[in-house]
Amino acid sequence: MNTEGQLMTQGPPAKPNPGLFKRNPPIAGEAEAIEAAKNGDAEAFSRLYALHKRRVYTLCLRMLGNVSEAEDMTQEAFLHLFRKIGSFRGESAFSTWLHRLTVNLVLMQLRKKGLSLVSLEETINPSEEDAPKRDFGSRDPVLAGSVDRVSLERAVASLPPGYRMVFVLHDVEGFEHNEIATMLDCSTGNSKSQLHKARLRLRELLRNPSSESPKPDMSTEGAK
Amino acid sequence: MSEPGDININFDTLKPEEFEQYLPELFASCDGKVSEDPRLQQLFAAHPDCLALVRDLETIAETARSLFEPEDDPSDKVWTNIQSKLREESALSSGQDGEEQLREID
Repeated sequence: MNTEGQLMTQGPPAKPNPGLFKRNPPIAGEAEAIEAAKNGDAEAFSRLYALHKRRVYTLCLRMLGNVSEAEDMTQEAFLHLFRKIGSFRGESAFSTWLHRLTVNLVLMQLRKKGLSLVSLEETINPSEEDAPKRDFGSRDPVLAGSVDRVSLERAVASLPPGYRMVFVLHDVEGFEHNEIATMLDCSTGNSKSQLHKARLRLRELLRNPSSESPKPDMSTEGAK
Repeated sequence: MSEPGDININFDTLKPEEFEQYLPELFASCDGKVSEDPRLQQLFAAHPDCLALVRDLETIAETARSLFEPEDDPSDKVWTNIQSKLREESALSSGQDGEEQLREID
């Protein structure tokens, strides 16, 4: 299992892997802000916050499903960033590194609350009624090649926590199965299996929105 | 992560039930779209529901990428709290110098 320290310390400088920057291309002015922030420049840290607050907050919100907790975790993520930015060596995109830091903090928080492992186990071994339906041979309507973003966001929010976490990490955030397996302390096979089940559940939810279970506090109203 | 070809499947005799079993690995190992995998076209021709399922799952995965661009900001209190915490920590660790440094954030 990765610890916070493992994720925050990258070791000696290495040649960056261009593939790691595909989804997180460098942002203009970011590199200068990072270097300045490493030297304790408060204004540079403020710029980094402005550049990354949305993505960090949205990631927290999707994983936690709760505005208040997502804001608390966003705060923690940037406090950690301020303390640990000196260990960022540039082998990956800064936002990838920051997202990994954030995911790890969220997972630690969930474990503290005793939720994460329970939730993951719940989806690794779902009960019959909880498991996505298998409907080969059925003639149910298909998604007709399009799903709108709002509907998908709503469906993702109603996924069981373990499914939601793997889906968000893989399909939204772009982490590889081996990275997810390390973060969640499970096998890559489990990560692949959970992702597949999450997509099957989403298919059900999108074809039949009435099957969505009520989801707590995903609205950002009142938080602005 | 498995590479394409890691799975030992006889695609000529593949049945829908077996296809379902292998689907997570097929998605994980496929370079392009599973729906366009030439090895599966025979199955898809015989079982259009398998193709419909794959296309739906591909649509979901493709749409999920659009969620990467966020739309919501955290409330202003998050930054206020961060400033406050950093000011506290700075005061504890470096005294007045840190206070002066963090005053620049305000």
